[in-house]
Amino acid sequence: MKKVIIYTTPTCGYCKMAKAYFKDNNIAYIEKDVAIDQSAADEMINKSGQMGVPVIAISDEDGGNEQLIIGFDQSALASALGIGV
Amino acid sequence: MYDLLVVGSGAAGLSAGIYAGRYLLNTVIVQGKDFGGETAVAALIENYPGYIEIDGYDLMVKMKEQAEHVGAKIMAGWVTAITKKAEGHFVATLGSGETLEAKSVILATGSRRRRLNLPNEEALTGKGVSYCTTCDAPLYKGKTIAIIGGGDSSVKGANLAALYAEKVYLIARGKAVNAEPVNYARLTQKKNVEMVYETEVKEIIGADRLEKIILSKPLNGSVELALGGLFVEVGALPNNDLAKSLGVELDARGFVEVDPFMQANIPGVMVAGDLCNETGGFKQDIVAAAQGSMAATSAYQYVGGLMSTNRSE
Repeated sequence: MKKVIIYTTPTCGYCKMAKAYFKDNNIAYIEKDVAIDQSAADEMINKSGQMGVPVIAISDEDGGNEQLIIGFDQSALASALGIGV
Repeated sequence: MYDLLVVGSGAAGLSAGIYAGRYLLNTVIVQGKDFGGETAVAALIENYPGYIEIDGYDLMVKMKEQAEHVGAKIMAGWVTAITKKAEGHFVATLGSGETLEAKSVILATGSRRRRLNLPNEEALTGKGVSYCTTCDAPLYKGKTIAIIGGGDSSVKGANLAALYAEKVYLIARGKAVNAEPVNYARLTQKKNVEMVYETEVKEIIGADRLEKIILSKPLNGSVELALGGLFVEVGALPNNDLAKSLGVELDARGFVEVDPFMQANIPGVMVAGDLCNETGGFKQDIVAAAQGSMAATSAYQYVGGLMSTNRSE
């Protein structure tokens, strides 16, 4: 089972698409709103080296082997999560 | 074989699906890489009839639900090629390698954001340069940012960004912006927004992050403007690859020529939404939705015409 964190802002349409994709595929995720949570914003920027949302961090349950997907990239998500497009 | 393949899931494609479903056409809508098109990332929509305000993504979800309610099938995936094999026979290839066959096609592939095409622009995307003000503006809290573009998207973007940024420059090529008066009126109330007219961006400068831009004429005595963020809202280019591969007629700017009922020059191919040139630069959900319904009506007549032809044989 993968651990999924998505960094979002409230007005981000691509973030909503990503969350809908998780819901349609029964993927549990943790959402961090970087508009209100500065530490989450710093975390996202440090991890991804950039300031665009969404950033989706997919890792093992213990947080190891973290993979980052920047933007709503459906095929990259499918591949990282081991599900269909 | 489907009666109708709709390519794209913005307002045009989904509205086409609603009408096609009610015409009892066996319809499939292939979503494309970005469900909901430009509307899904437009944040608040305040000018679609029936809603005083609604988030663009939510509006597209409602259209999708309505299309599914009347029997249209909406599938994930994207179309990479379409070929017309015969009258009433189109074959589409998807990114997965799967193929779909349909008697008629509606292209509703919309448009994509235009870039400035300046050096460093791509390298600094996400590192100060952004094409989605609605997505990324909140990350620029307390910073000085600029939004490039003279249209409604720029003004709406500036209204949002002004809530977070310390200072917003709205830089436009023309002598004024061309925005909905209500959006412009809101902008004029923002104390931290400065309008910069008849100016373009000549250079984007920064090593690991955006540092500054060079303007085409001085602002407050200098052509250099130090910035933490640059949001590019300079219009759209038509997503016309599929249209080109089918051989439909395009205008000089790459938008598809259609007749008053959304038919392209190839029988069985209709086009709706931002991809067609019917309303020039006036690209709106209400227009796309109307065009989707008309395209579906043309598809219904075309498919019905095929059946008549077959019966007479």
